[in-house]
Amino acid sequence: MSGIIEVRNLSFGYTSKSAVLKDIGFAVPSRTFLGIVGPNGAGKSTLLNLMSGALKPRSGTITIDAASIESYSAQELAARVAVVRQESVPIFGFSVMETVLMARTPYFGAAGFESQADRDIVKDALELTDTTAFASRPLTSLSSGERQRVFIARALAQNSPILLLDEPTSFLDLKHQVGIYDLLKAAQLEKGKTIVAVTHDINLACQYCDEALLLGTDNSYRHGPANEVLTAEQIKEVFDVRIFAGRVGQERFFMPLGKRAKDNAQTNAKTGKI
Amino acid sequence: MRTEAMDQLLRPKKLIVTTGLALGVLVIVMVACSLVGSEEISLRTAFSRSDAASNPDHEILVRVRLPRIILACLVGAALACSGAVFQALLRNPLADPYILGISSGAGLGAMIAVVGGLNWTLWGRSPIAVFAFAGALGTVWLVWFIGRLTGKFHVTGLLLAGVVVNAFFSAVIMFLTSIAKSEQVYSTIFWLMGNMAEEDFLVLWVGAGCVIGGIAALFFISPQLNALSFGAEDARSMGVNIARTRTIAFAIAAGITAIAVSLSGLIGFVGLVVPHAVRLVFGPDHRLMVPLSGIVGAIFLVVADTLARTIIAPAQLPVGVVTAIVGGPVFLVLLVKHSRKIGWLK
Repeated sequence: MSGIIEVRNLSFGYTSKSAVLKDIGFAVPSRTFLGIVGPNGAGKSTLLNLMSGALKPRSGTITIDAASIESYSAQELAARVAVVRQESVPIFGFSVMETVLMARTPYFGAAGFESQADRDIVKDALELTDTTAFASRPLTSLSSGERQRVFIARALAQNSPILLLDEPTSFLDLKHQVGIYDLLKAAQLEKGKTIVAVTHDINLACQYCDEALLLGTDNSYRHGPANEVLTAEQIKEVFDVRIFAGRVGQERFFMPLGKRAKDNAQTNAKTGKI
Repeated sequence: MRTEAMDQLLRPKKLIVTTGLALGVLVIVMVACSLVGSEEISLRTAFSRSDAASNPDHEILVRVRLPRIILACLVGAALACSGAVFQALLRNPLADPYILGISSGAGLGAMIAVVGGLNWTLWGRSPIAVFAFAGALGTVWLVWFIGRLTGKFHVTGLLLAGVVVNAFFSAVIMFLTSIAKSEQVYSTIFWLMGNMAEEDFLVLWVGAGCVIGGIAALFFISPQLNALSFGAEDARSMGVNIARTRTIAFAIAAGITAIAVSLSGLIGFVGLVVPHAVRLVFGPDHRLMVPLSGIVGAIFLVVADTLARTIIAPAQLPVGVVTAIVGGPVFLVLLVKHSRKIGWLK
């Protein structure tokens, strides 16, 4: 087991009696895209918060670059791991450019100003996320999709090898969902980033992730290549819902079927091809 | 390649020019206000080479008006700057220097000094000032301590602790008021309303040193304050040492507020309105906000105090009355004009 991120025997609970995560272990190889999938309450965001150092494990270890995450200072960790949280609400009306530049805060000079190198990094991040066009606008005037791109730009501007994202597409429409994942994939393939994204969207995870971690509410977990972990049987079991599984070209997709869904009777939850 | 957005970023040159211009305005305001008052004086007479002892203009300017104007400057600067910092730290637009209980702590200290009938001095300071200073710092420490107990750096816990401590101390103040003699109550109420008086130059220089030093230190953590306004978790993952930044910012903001309060009582509105006004006009970047809030706060309080001592001359109003009456409408105009610039109105 070796990877840029290694999680060993990790357990965590918010109260002393309950455990959200129990004895989890996996490794994320450098330059791969890991999707963390699972039902509500399975501990996906908790795991991400542990991996970003925001929470401390009850037991077990998380190492980044072969050193324990707790051995890093905030600045050292930020140089390795950047985090995009769900809808960070800005309290003051900072512009897009100012927001992205804040990723460089630890590198500002003594007088509190950025260097030309910082500006170049910010420019690249804006270009990669396609946000240059509205860089001078205040964050508050953007749509959710645009704002999410800005926060990804800010994470990229940290120039860290690892990018952690908590449900990056949860408020976005179809076009913007795909747009965000295309952008993440480009960051992985062109910039060599290691990407870990928590998501509810199994279909997007199937299309874009190399590896998947499927967390269950019963502290179970399955980890491996995305196409082996995200199968109809496993998803059905973990999510406790009937699933219609299909395939379009290379891409597999899964559709949940509720008891009262219109088409439930006809399909009878068979799996098949379209 | 340069872009429009790049050009809008704060440059050191823009910071220096804007701050310099604001300081220029402050000096002009100070000079103008020193010439206004119940006695007509002129600068030329005051600094003419005639014998200083027989020059009443010089006496009034240097012994009476200038000390008071300098006092207004440093109190205004301290309150406005600390308001700006508390708004960023607590991520709350309603935050002001008094939000974590400084006002009630200082008020209680002053009340104890008055009711206790103390009449000694410490380095030329009255018991009221000494007790108010101690009460202010003690209360902030208490609120900080309780806030830590509710969870590590939970802003809500800190705010609630501030509200509860404020309410409790206010109740104690009311209790002391009800058992105190009426002339004691009068002098406390006067102090609570916020009041300027002529101070020794020594006190002024020490106070000014602390306030200017504090504002300078706050400037050096202002990039971290920018990051913190996105929330502690975001700031931490951007590499900001939040525990250190918060401790420094809280300590300095509380310290300069305590100095201001012990010098002039509870002057309201400056710490709330001035940071908002500065942010509305110059944007939210704390590298500009911190020094400008200080300077604009100074200008605002010098003007307010000049009004306080001239409107009903030879009598004087408490300056706290003027800050609220003048500051309220000014702020409303700014708010309506620039409301699009600030995020939380959405």
